[in-house]
Amino acid sequence: MALFINVLTQVCITLVAVCGIYVLTGLTGMFSLGSAAFMAIGAYASGLITIKLGLPVIVSFILAILMAVAIGFIIGLPVVKLRRDYISLVTLGFGESIAQLLIQMNYLTGGANGLLGIPRKVKWPIALASAIVSITLVAMFKRSKYGRQCIAVKSDELAAEAMGINSSRIKMIAFLLSCALTAFAGCLYSFYMGYVDPGIFGWKKSADWVIMVFFGGVNSLTGSIFGATILSALPQFMRSLRDYRYVVYAIMVILIINFKPNGLLGEWELTPTHIKETFKKIKNKFNKNSKES
Amino acid sequence: MSLQILVNGIATGSVYALIAIGFALVFNILKFSNFSYGATMTVSAFTAYFLVASKGYGLVPTLLVSAIAGAVVSLFGEFVGFRRILLNNSPTTYFFVSSITLATLYEGLVTIKVGASFFRYPDFFSVSTLNFAGTVISKSDIIMFIISAIALGILAFIIQKTRIGRALRAVSFDREAAQLMGINSTLIIQITFVLSGIFAGLAGCFLGIKYTLTPTLGSLVVKGFISSVIGGLGSLVGAVVGAMLLGIAEAICLKIFGSGWATIVTFAIMLLFLLVRPQGIAGSNVQEKA
Repeated sequence: MALFINVLTQVCITLVAVCGIYVLTGLTGMFSLGSAAFMAIGAYASGLITIKLGLPVIVSFILAILMAVAIGFIIGLPVVKLRRDYISLVTLGFGESIAQLLIQMNYLTGGANGLLGIPRKVKWPIALASAIVSITLVAMFKRSKYGRQCIAVKSDELAAEAMGINSSRIKMIAFLLSCALTAFAGCLYSFYMGYVDPGIFGWKKSADWVIMVFFGGVNSLTGSIFGATILSALPQFMRSLRDYRYVVYAIMVILIINFKPNGLLGEWELTPTHIKETFKKIKNKFNKNSKES
Repeated sequence: MSLQILVNGIATGSVYALIAIGFALVFNILKFSNFSYGATMTVSAFTAYFLVASKGYGLVPTLLVSAIAGAVVSLFGEFVGFRRILLNNSPTTYFFVSSITLATLYEGLVTIKVGASFFRYPDFFSVSTLNFAGTVISKSDIIMFIISAIALGILAFIIQKTRIGRALRAVSFDREAAQLMGINSTLIIQITFVLSGIFAGLAGCFLGIKYTLTPTLGSLVVKGFISSVIGGLGSLVGAVVGAMLLGIAEAICLKIFGSGWATIVTFAIMLLFLLVRPQGIAGSNVQEKA
């Protein structure tokens, strides 16, 4: 049971982060290899604010998220106007420098040993609630004006501009929302684990999240959540195969990209309309089969 | 003292130039950032270590094996990761995901083989440093500089003077038009990947000599990316100039701020550069034609 609750909490925290990646990658078509760095900012900032200043947890969460958004704004400022390649290159560089920065500022962050002694305030109900809130938020964002604008920018930036969408503004909004969500995941993580070290926030983690989003279906929030749940829960139950995990992931994703480029669920969402359509399809198939026989 | 900094900077810059060139080659032709490049460097450096260097052969066989391994890995990546996507005319984002997936795969395989342990290439030179009027130059740095220069020279010759190079330039300019003119663009793309892989192999080997061999060696590819952003994405000359500038800037930062801060300062320089001159030094900004 303890193992199950541990896995549940970790999956929920990952889900919060993957929601952020979905906004960035799934909706807007931008890739960040520095998302984990924003998670690190959230984790360290919230932990430090609580430990050093003694502020309540909620306040430190809010401050940490604001800080991540502010840094995201500085990073995003030069890149949203450029080709989308730049955002991945710049965020990759950013991630590496944040890792270095955390090691260098060891009087504050504990350097490579990590930051210890964060109160373990986050239990599974909080993590679960946060995941649900984040998913709802992103689902609402997708249905809103902004979400539709994001999708338009993703499919064709020039056409979107011609329709009167300010594409750099909408890219910035998506990027900041994604920063906020990943930072929130970082806050949850540090207050769940009780300590953080800079080693886990490399580009590998960001790449992991992108892979999760693509595994389930890059155009579908349901798919991304589904992919994230499976890919983050499985390795927790098979700890002995840890080293092989990345290889197995990579092979699965390469197969999916080559043969089913829209991911497992494609554009399917868990909404009444889509469920109805799916039922209809199954019914039709069933009817056809029964007629043939 | 300032001469020493300059020498160190150029030595580092010449390795960065190799990384940046290999990356820019693929970017030039397929217009996407190949993130599997770093892991290709790791794989080839380790292949060279286990097959050649650990058995006591010299520098030249190690470099050769590393370059060949890089070419093979790169070609494999093209076949597994990019061929189908290209033929399906899928959006560029799939190239991106494919490349980071390949990077994860390579790094995972290396981790399975070596774990998290460190390896060192044996010392290839009996006397490791030379001394010119107070400036200390390590022998391996000179060799690296010369080999980088030769490799870049050969590449420039291939691209500018040969038929293959002309075809390569045509494909990078407009793939479909080149295909219609009778150029086998799939073959040209394969050749590009092989060239890029050779550079990855050389760069990986040099990084292994300069630092230590670890499964995360490939993360140094960031330097190559930064160089190409400074130089202008997709420009080969820009990549080399950017790499040299980055190497020198890093050497100066190293002197002023100490080793840990150099990465952070160079990142800040790149961000500033993007704000002021986003098209890079070479100014050939590859904009999406939409």
